[in-house]
Amino acid sequence: MKPFLDIRNVTKSFGSLTAVDDISLQVYPGEIFALLGPNGAGKTTLIGCISGLIERFNGSITVDGFDVRRDYPVVRQLIGLVPQELNFDGFFKTRHVLEYQGGFFGNRKYRQRSNELLKAFTLSDKAEANSRWLSGGMKRRLMICKALTHRPALLFLDEPTAGVDVELRDELWAYVRQLREAGTTIVLTTHYLEEAEELADRIGVINHGKLVLLERRDDLLNTYGERWLDVRLDKPARVEWFEGIGCTRIEVRGDNHFRFSFQDSTLAELNENSVPAKLFRILHEQALTPLRIDGGRSRLEDIFRKVVGQDNPSESEGST
Amino acid sequence: MSLQMDKPGVEPVYPELKPEWVESARQHISEVRSRGQAESGLWGTWTLFKKEMHRFLSIAGQTVVSPVLTTMLWYLVFGYSLGDRLDEINGIPYTDFLVPGLVMMAIITNAFLNSAFSFFIGKVHGTVVDLMVSPLRPWQIAMAYTSASVVRAVAVGSVIWAVAAAMGAGTTFHVGWTLLFMILTSFAFALLGLATGILAKDFDHINFIPNFLLLPLTFLGGVFYSIRLLPSPWDSISLFNPIIYMVNGLRYGMTGVSDVPILPGVAISAGSVLAGLILVLWLLSSGRGLKP
Repeated sequence: MKPFLDIRNVTKSFGSLTAVDDISLQVYPGEIFALLGPNGAGKTTLIGCISGLIERFNGSITVDGFDVRRDYPVVRQLIGLVPQELNFDGFFKTRHVLEYQGGFFGNRKYRQRSNELLKAFTLSDKAEANSRWLSGGMKRRLMICKALTHRPALLFLDEPTAGVDVELRDELWAYVRQLREAGTTIVLTTHYLEEAEELADRIGVINHGKLVLLERRDDLLNTYGERWLDVRLDKPARVEWFEGIGCTRIEVRGDNHFRFSFQDSTLAELNENSVPAKLFRILHEQALTPLRIDGGRSRLEDIFRKVVGQDNPSESEGST
Repeated sequence: MSLQMDKPGVEPVYPELKPEWVESARQHISEVRSRGQAESGLWGTWTLFKKEMHRFLSIAGQTVVSPVLTTMLWYLVFGYSLGDRLDEINGIPYTDFLVPGLVMMAIITNAFLNSAFSFFIGKVHGTVVDLMVSPLRPWQIAMAYTSASVVRAVAVGSVIWAVAAAMGAGTTFHVGWTLLFMILTSFAFALLGLATGILAKDFDHINFIPNFLLLPLTFLGGVFYSIRLLPSPWDSISLFNPIIYMVNGLRYGMTGVSDVPILPGVAISAGSVLAGLILVLWLLSSGRGLKP
C-alpha cells in the first residue's frame, strides 16, 4: 500500500544541534501513529518540517505524493496541525477565530462548519466570547477545532493532552477515534505511554533526533512494557511459592511484602494464565490474605530507557 | 518494523488497521486532494483581508480616532496658532500648505504600524502559525495585509483631509493626484511595515523604524516647511529623501503647488512599492524571520 505520509532521510540542524537526524518513516491511510520521546527529542521539529513551520531541512517529505515544500498549497489542504503551544487571537470572538481559519483554506461554508465544530467540542456557549477569556482546556479544544476547519485528511496532534484534565482527555481520545473512523489519518506526539497505548496502531520512539524504534503498539508493549503488583499479606510468605508464575522479577520487601513485576500484555491476550490470575491462585492455595495491593506499570521513561539502553548500555542504568 | 508489504496494492498485514478505516481514509484523501488542487487561494486572501480589517476596526479608537485627533491637534497648534504669523508659502496660506504634510505623516505612520504590529502581534501570540500552515501563497499574504493597512491609512488621511477642508483649508485642487499619492505611499509603507513585522524579534525592533527612520525623514521631508526655504546645501541634500517627493506629490494634488516635479514623485513612490513588494515576497517565500 502506498504511504500517505512518506518521510525520507530528513535531517534538520539548528547550528551545531541536530534536532532531527536522518529520519525515515511512512504513515499509511487510516492509521493512528504515535511519536513518543522526551522533551527535545525532535518530535515537534519533525512535525514542523512536515506542516510548513520549518522550511530548511535535508531529505524529502511527501504527503499523498506531493512534496511538502514544492506543492505546499495542496499539502496544506491535506494536513491539519494542532500545535503544542496554546495560542489565542485576543482581537476576535471564538466563532470568528474558526470562521477566519476556515476561510484561509477556501471554505465558503465557514459558518456551518464552525457551528459543527463548536458543538462537537462543547464550545457553542462560548461562541460569542473573546477567545482570550477561554480557559486552558477550552483553548486546547479551540486549537483542535481550528485544525479541523478544512476537514484535513492527515491530522497532527502535538502533545494534545498536555495539561488537560481527565475528562477532557477522555473526550479528546473519543473524538480522535471518531475522526479516524470518518477517514482521518492521525499522527500524534505524546509523552504518555497510556495515550499512545489507548490510541495508536503503531509507535515510533525518537531520541536525540533519531528514530530508535518503530513498532506496532502491541509488539512494543509485549517486548518492552512491564506491570507490577505490590502486595502486603496478612502473614509471612516464601518467595519460592511464587516462582514459575511468569514474573520477570520478584522483589522481597519484607516477610509479608512482595513486589511482582511481569511483562505487559494487551487486553486481548488476557486469560486465566495471566500473572495476576496465577498469583491469586497461589495466595488462595496458601491461605494468604492480601491486606493491601498497589499496582502500576512501566512509564514511557522506563520503556524509553530500555530502548535507548540497547544502543547505549550506560544510559540504561537505573531502569526497572 | 512489523508492517508486511507483500505486493503492491495489497493491504498490509496489520490486524489493528481495519480495511474500512483504510477505505474511508482513501476516499477522504481523494476528496481533499481534489478540493486542494482546485483552490486558487483567492477566497483565503479575501478572508485574511477581512480579518485584518476586522482587527483594526475592533480597536478603531486606537487605530483611527486617535491618529485623527492627534493630527488635528498638530493642525490646530501649527496651522492656527502659528500659521497666522507666517507668510504664505509657495503662494498659498500656511494652513493649506500644512494639511498635505500632516495627512502624509498620518498615512505613513498608520500604514507602517498597521502591518508591522498586526504581523508581529501574531508572532508574539503564536497565531502566525495558523497562517504559516495555511495554503496561502506569499503574494496572497502580502496583498491581504498591505491592502488592509492601505484602507486604514487612507481612511485616517481622508478624515483629516475632510476635517481640514471643513475648517476652511483649500485642499481640493486635484482629487486624482491626491488619491494616487495617498494610495502609493500607503502601499509602500504598509510593505515596509510588513517586512519589519516579519523580521522583528521584539517590540523595540518595531519601534526602531518609526522613531529613528520614519520620524526624522518625515520631519525633514517638507511636512512643515518648503525645502526652498532651506539654505544650501540642505535644499539639495533634501532631494535624496524620498518622502520629500511623496509629501510634495500629495501637496500638489491638494493645493496645486510642489517643491519638486510630480512625475519623478510618482516614479519614486511606485518604485518604493515595487522594492517593498520584492522584499516582502522574498521574506515570505524564503521564510526568513519566520521559519528556521
